Amino acid sequence: MKASIIRSYFVCLLISILAGCTSGSGSGDNPSNQQDNVLRLFNWNNYISQKTVERFEQMCQCRVTQDYYSDNEELLAKLAAGATGYDLLVPTGDAMDTLIRQGALRELDKSKIPNLKNIDPGYLKTKFDPDNRYSVPYANTITLLGFNREKITGLGLPTDSWAIIFEPEYLKKIKGRVTVLDSQRELLAAALKYLGYSAHDTDEAHWQQAKTLIIRAKPYWAAFNNTSYIRELAVGNLWVAHGYSNDMFQAAQDAKKTGRQFSIDFVIPKEGAVLSLDSMVLHRSGHRPDLAHRFINFMLEGENSAELTNLTGSGNPNLDARPHIHPEIIANPAIFPDAAQFSRLEMLEDINHTQRRLLSRIWTEIKLR
Amino acid sequence: MNRLRLTRWLVSLPPTLFLLLFFVVPSLLMIVTSFRYPGEFGGLAPLSVPATGLAEEGSGLYGLTLETYRFFFSDILYAEIFLKSFAVATATTLICLVMAYPVAMLIARSAKKYRNLMVLLVVLPFASNFLIRIYAWMIILGPESTFSHLINSVLDVLGLEPVMLLFSPFAVLVGTVYVHLPFMILPLYTNLEKHDPVLLDAAQDLGANRWQRFWRVTWPQSLPGVFSGSALVFIPVLGMFAIPDILGGTGDILIGNLIKDQFLGTRDWPFGSTLSIMLTLAVLSVAGLATWFARSRTASSN
Repeated sequence: MKASIIRSYFVCLLISILAGCTSGSGSGDNPSNQQDNVLRLFNWNNYISQKTVERFEQMCQCRVTQDYYSDNEELLAKLAAGATGYDLLVPTGDAMDTLIRQGALRELDKSKIPNLKNIDPGYLKTKFDPDNRYSVPYANTITLLGFNREKITGLGLPTDSWAIIFEPEYLKKIKGRVTVLDSQRELLAAALKYLGYSAHDTDEAHWQQAKTLIIRAKPYWAAFNNTSYIRELAVGNLWVAHGYSNDMFQAAQDAKKTGRQFSIDFVIPKEGAVLSLDSMVLHRSGHRPDLAHRFINFMLEGENSAELTNLTGSGNPNLDARPHIHPEIIANPAIFPDAAQFSRLEMLEDINHTQRRLLSRIWTEIKLR
Repeated sequence: MNRLRLTRWLVSLPPTLFLLLFFVVPSLLMIVTSFRYPGEFGGLAPLSVPATGLAEEGSGLYGLTLETYRFFFSDILYAEIFLKSFAVATATTLICLVMAYPVAMLIARSAKKYRNLMVLLVVLPFASNFLIRIYAWMIILGPESTFSHLINSVLDVLGLEPVMLLFSPFAVLVGTVYVHLPFMILPLYTNLEKHDPVLLDAAQDLGANRWQRFWRVTWPQSLPGVFSGSALVFIPVLGMFAIPDILGGTGDILIGNLIKDQFLGTRDWPFGSTLSIMLTLAVLSVAGLATWFARSRTASSN
């Protein structure tokens, strides 16, 4: 018996040398192998509290390893390029839609997730996954406007409308102090909302109208910017930025912590905005769906979920988390919008390849003009 | 004789393999990709209609097509981006040349014991990450920086409008020149170092003044260095996307940004490949022109 184990070990070693694979991935191929007690998470940068991770590790007697991405396209591109072995991903709606249609996700066993009841029903049954067969909401962000309160109120500019980034009459007072997202979909959605259309309108005439609006406003913008607006707002270089609510929260915190003479505010424009709901899903290539289910259930506990919001300022679809969230975050309508505001939020939907190519062409024209 | 041929063959084998593996094969892949349809989830649509019910998930388009080329040539927009990228690359190369030449000459003509130290100083910036150095420029050029205040107070004294340094074509040029300057200095230095000082003495003896000594002796000899330095600067700048992304303003899109967009945001691999092929063709024709120019020069001077 012993000899045969040793022999099989050597055979295994030989095979792994010949195949060039490591013993780690060898054992990982076997889902019943309890030695490999690791939950592999592929998540956004800074999208979970270290304390939460440690608590989960203690509870499950396992290890959590994390890899990070900074946008959905990066997630999709890495998975398309063959990244495997992740148990849990946290994509946004439209990217999740892609993953579902690709058949890349594993169905959830809801009997293992009793805490699903904590989720606000308003965030369940999304268009992308109507029966929540694959996904459980994790957190959400809103794409909105952040601004330097003292500067903007001092100039007497409106802060409750997209007009401030699209109308030259306002923009001329803040020329060079405005950035918008370097994202085709997000900027187009903002322009469409301002024009009174839906954020996922795909009518080409409306897109062209949005393009004209953007090109007219562009000379007043400093840049298209996805990340550094957080810092630039917090140090006072920028006065208005189009960006994500959790980033604005970060900027506001930074400005407060460094004792600036101004404060950063953020509001949902009255015309409506884009809501991004990030959900936990199981990737097919994961080896430990059991741990992943436990993790989902764990994250749905009010206290754990609240920790995320307290850290990042993300919106939280978990009703049980509310009592544990800092009161000033709960009170912020740009993070927890009221029913009227919520009804004006829309989620982006994936578009097909002809539309993508057309949008890219419009985008190129916007950048070049 | 036979042995010599074998050695030569052995020596040239690794670089040939390298080129084959990392230039020819990817280029061929790119050419094939450019004639295909994009897949719904990024990647490519299958070449033939899949046998099973998978068809519903795709765009319903299979096989090969000239679609991307038609799209590319259908309007002038993409040609404008190419022209713009060429203009930025040319400007960067010229500025680098003007800045690098005196530095290279200084190093080449200083005492031997200092040369290595000076070369080390030129390459020292490579010790820190490229992106971090570009982000550092964001701080230097930012509107609240000391440098910006200084420039704007000078402009104010002159009665001019204040300028925004960051997020402008100027910032992009600063970035590209800063990053690529060593690539111009080093080939120039290796060339200038080999010049025989006796030639300059001879020119002086024959009555040439300072300028004539430079223009008729040093400059023509340094042309190979100028060409290789220019190629090392021009070609990478042409495909650059990070610098305009970080330092550029609302109009600073280069061909590199457009290609990157096709593979990430737009998930349109075939069109991205078409753009890359056009870029490769453009680079090759520039390189070809430069070689032809250099060759005709040496031929005429002989």
